[in-house]
Amino acid sequence: MQSAVMKPALALYTTLFLVFLYAPFAILAILSFQTGPEGGPQFPIIEWSSYWYQHLFGLAPPSRVAPLPIGESLFRSMTLAFMTMIVSTVLGVMSAQAFRSRFKGSGIVFYLIVLGMMVPGVLVGLGMALVANFFGIDRHWWSTAFVLHVVYTFPFAFLVMLAIFNRFDKSVEEASWSLGVSPARTFRKVTFPLIFPGVLSAMLFAFTLSYDEFSRTLFASGRDLTLPLAIYGTFAVEIHPNVFAFGVLTTLFSFALLGVYAILMSLSVRRARRIAIQEE
Amino acid sequence: MQPLLTLNGIERRYGDVAALDGVSFSVAPGAYVALLGPSGSGKTTLLRVIAGFEQPDAGHVVFDGRRIRDIPTHRRGIGIVFQNFALFPHLTVEKNVSFGLLNRESETNMDRRAIDAKVRDMIALVGLKGLESRDMHQISGGQRQRVALARTLVTEPRLVLLDEPLGALDANLRARMRDELRSLHDRLGVTFLHVTGSEAEALAMGDTIIVLDRGRIAQVDLAESIYNHPASPQVARLLNCYNLFEGAVEGREFVSSVGRFPLDGARAPGRPGKASAYAIRHDRIAVRPVDRPISPDEAGLAATFVASEYSGSSVLSFFATAGGQVIEVEDHLSLREPPNYAQKQGYALAWEPRDALVFA
Repeated sequence: MQSAVMKPALALYTTLFLVFLYAPFAILAILSFQTGPEGGPQFPIIEWSSYWYQHLFGLAPPSRVAPLPIGESLFRSMTLAFMTMIVSTVLGVMSAQAFRSRFKGSGIVFYLIVLGMMVPGVLVGLGMALVANFFGIDRHWWSTAFVLHVVYTFPFAFLVMLAIFNRFDKSVEEASWSLGVSPARTFRKVTFPLIFPGVLSAMLFAFTLSYDEFSRTLFASGRDLTLPLAIYGTFAVEIHPNVFAFGVLTTLFSFALLGVYAILMSLSVRRARRIAIQEE
Repeated sequence: MQPLLTLNGIERRYGDVAALDGVSFSVAPGAYVALLGPSGSGKTTLLRVIAGFEQPDAGHVVFDGRRIRDIPTHRRGIGIVFQNFALFPHLTVEKNVSFGLLNRESETNMDRRAIDAKVRDMIALVGLKGLESRDMHQISGGQRQRVALARTLVTEPRLVLLDEPLGALDANLRARMRDELRSLHDRLGVTFLHVTGSEAEALAMGDTIIVLDRGRIAQVDLAESIYNHPASPQVARLLNCYNLFEGAVEGREFVSSVGRFPLDGARAPGRPGKASAYAIRHDRIAVRPVDRPISPDEAGLAATFVASEYSGSSVLSFFATAGGQVIEVEDHLSLREPPNYAQKQGYALAWEPRDALVFA
């Protein structure tokens, strides 16, 4: 009887939740098809067109609306996210591996690592800028900002790997050692293939978090802007639907990334399921 | 002959609990040694210390004439077969078996063709021919057991540790793998240290049996001696074929809560007046109607029949004394007619005093 009331109520709640979550994006997507260059970022849609997409790629005839300055910043953000992903994932795997056995001060080290994702980004960014100035270090997206991105995403990669190792059956490694295989080679040949699904997740976290990081980058990246900063910069003048068009495209890119992740994951999970069957 | 493996006063503590409390024994090369212990007796810890997964808090392990405390697992030359097999789930049967030869640190000069031939022979030896390219989820429990064995044996360790290797198998497979383990051992001449919680398995497999009880060695002996002459009440209890009574020796009698049993004159261990235990094997007890009382040169007691358990070749019957202690009687069907005891009926249980064991 309770479910007769509860179920529709929960369904309604979930629907509202999803609407709340996705409505802003849906609005942006619709507005990106506004006609241009005279159409603005507001309803009603004067006429449906793909003008702003053409504008984005420089295919539209010249008009008073300047093209979005995103070409180089997109490249910078991608490169930065890729570098961050590699470094954070490597660090995350290594430190989680270290935490498999208890060591002196492991509690403190744990909180020091996790602190990187807890402290407010603006403060860390500002602090980094001050420190860099003090020591006379130039701020660049590939130096000071990169360090902050790693500090921020490393804890995520670390926690993902910690959870993976938590469920890892150590006896497989012990079996490998007992066959005369060194611990280093055992890690490469046994441990790593088995934790690979977790490594993928850690990489995805690090990449996406770095790709749209704003507050830390704001103060630490120096004169060359990353993508989120460049887009924010365009807001200061006047907002045109070309920003929305770009938003739609980056979202599609993110979905593509998630798609690749899902495919790789399902391949690994199929193997994991086999492991589960084996252990029954 | 110099022993292959010697343990000297091994201690291992977890907090206040001593998992191993001064364990010493040695294993001769080529032997099949069974290590029998109930769960919690420290037998798995002992294997982990020998394999090098854990360090003892005190004592040392000597393997092949060397102390191996500082030698890491992969340089010890000791193989281990885990209870859960611990196979590499991402590799096929063949790759599991060849893993050690292809990846081990030493003898990297062995060429690929020799390795392939060796792996092929080992797969044939354990009866896995035709399954080389199967994944671990595509083979049965018994086949996994064989992969685990083959994977270890192909690297030719001097000593193979078997951690309850048959525990994960069902009963009839267990019996078959027992025979196969034994014949693999005899064919390859490797030294086996087989850890088990099953007294039947230990008695069937081991040339020598080491009984471990609460982190200490309770007895080391040949299988037959252990069965007929357990060294302590703990060992007798573990063997699961003795009725035990607590009490004390008084003069020429053993006095327990269920009655006084005359002692055999020839051998009467145990000091008078001191608390000790009295054991009589399940299959040495005769069951008689109450109207045929126990004669003075016999030991015995009166008990009520409770239930019996048929196991094919024998029947195990349970009797209860007035005080509630359960007495087990085993009738081998090849020697006696199947018993037909009446429920809740009183019987006289009698045995020869010389069949009984008295522990100091």
